[in-house]
Amino acid sequence: MTAVSVRKVSKAFNVGKSNQVDALHEVSLDVKPGEFVSLIGPSGCGKSTLLRLVANLLEPTAGEVMVNGKSAVKARLDQDYGMAFQQAGLFDWRTVRKNIELPLELKGWDKGNRQTRAAEMLQLVQLPEFADHYPWQLSGGMQQRIAIARALAAHPPLLLMDEPFGALDEMTREYMQGELLRICAATGTTVVFVTHSIPEAVYLSNRVVVMSPRPGRITKIVDVSLGGERTEDTRNRTAFFEAITTVREGLRGMHAAHVGLGNDDR
Amino acid sequence: MTATVRRAAYRTFMFIVALALVVVIWETYKALGPADGGKLFGARILPRTSSYAMPHVWDMFSRFNRPEVRGSDRTVFSVVLAGAWFSFRLSAAGFVLGGVLGTGLAVLMARFRWVQRGVLPYLVVSQTVPLIALAPLVVSWGGKLEVGPFVWPRWLSASVLGAFLAFFPIAVGTLRGLAAASASSVELMQSYAASWTKTLFKLRFPTAVPYMVPAFRLGASASVIGVVVAEISTGLKGGIGRLIIEYAREATGDPAKVYTAIFGAAALGLTMAGVVIVVDALVMRNRPKESIS
Repeated sequence: MTAVSVRKVSKAFNVGKSNQVDALHEVSLDVKPGEFVSLIGPSGCGKSTLLRLVANLLEPTAGEVMVNGKSAVKARLDQDYGMAFQQAGLFDWRTVRKNIELPLELKGWDKGNRQTRAAEMLQLVQLPEFADHYPWQLSGGMQQRIAIARALAAHPPLLLMDEPFGALDEMTREYMQGELLRICAATGTTVVFVTHSIPEAVYLSNRVVVMSPRPGRITKIVDVSLGGERTEDTRNRTAFFEAITTVREGLRGMHAAHVGLGNDDR
Repeated sequence: MTATVRRAAYRTFMFIVALALVVVIWETYKALGPADGGKLFGARILPRTSSYAMPHVWDMFSRFNRPEVRGSDRTVFSVVLAGAWFSFRLSAAGFVLGGVLGTGLAVLMARFRWVQRGVLPYLVVSQTVPLIALAPLVVSWGGKLEVGPFVWPRWLSASVLGAFLAFFPIAVGTLRGLAAASASSVELMQSYAASWTKTLFKLRFPTAVPYMVPAFRLGASASVIGVVVAEISTGLKGGIGRLIIEYAREATGDPAKVYTAIFGAAALGLTMAGVVIVVDALVMRNRPKESIS
């Protein structure tokens, strides 16, 4: 069984109107359980749209999306995935602990179980001492770690991330990448990760999916094998740079007019 | 916490300074202004400075301590206090009614776009109807209303008019707040398969609180104005509105007296706003300090 299966999926906005946009055209992609897959491409290539189709926040115009062997709708209703956005999107009025408990509350967990799980998640993201702080008292990187804890609180098998580190500074960003890999290894979570950054995609992923716009489609899938555990040293290895070059060539391979002229990710 | 205390102290101080400034301007004009007032092309644009037109501030306050009418053992103070208390209860009832109505309407408008498109223009128009014109209508409708043992009490008309003024800012502010949730937090709730109602209570209402607080503060003072105007235009006895017209009639013989009732009305409005400010401080205590304006 695949974790995510996308079959010949197309998505158009404003169908039939003069301003129709073909965000995705007959895209197919399979993600294996435990795999880390990044979607990368210029603005308007439909990478965020693809993520939202997997999350069932959008319905495809054509084609089929399956998550954990179920339809995307069923998977969303069963909360088979967790989601994290560029803005951590924590609720200001809830403490860190209560933010992590949110998905559990919505699943109807009782208070004791919620508290136990929230404490576990805080351990996992290494911020247990901030349980009773409010999100706005934390730094951007900490907020994003809490958002990951919230996304994984119900132990979903799949994590969907839309440029989660896009708003962080470079130092924090690299630290967070290491943290994410550690957390995913500890929980065995499958990840689909949207990013603009080539080194980020390569460092994190088993496979990097290169997309191009108008209409959004997959142009190349780069297998990244860096051998063994990824550490800070990985960033200095030849294989790392080679993978970056391959992805960059994939992105450059597009018609020049397609690059940098898009106005929207969706 | 100390910063909060210091800010509160500063505000109180500035409030007192502002009050003192009004007194100084009043008394300075009374002392130095032209006795016959100022006229421009035959129209009086500045008031006379006589004690009939402009009593001394200390006369206004000392009037509180003297009997309401000659030979009575009730001081003006106790009468004004009782009137303000009466009107306060009516305003509170109007405020609660307006709050429930306004919040309910906002939820309906946020839930159904067609309700918003259909109702919002009428809400705006409703506020252009002069309250004075509406007051006798409400009284006469209320008088005709009898449901079983329920008989429309006269004071309820005043509360309804208070609610009529209060619900509008509350509905508009709450609606804006309910719509203020960010796209990604709405998507987040969707990704949890949360129902509209759950999203309303777990996301939209908490997001709306910073918008609702100033809206309710406006609504609170609006309900006071509504009730006082309704008391005046329907002649309802017992409240501060009635005292204002009664005392205004005596202005030729007892010019300071009407100001006691006006102070009573001001104190009433401030008390109402104060109640909302306390609630505000309670619900906003755990929010980030940089707030929306």
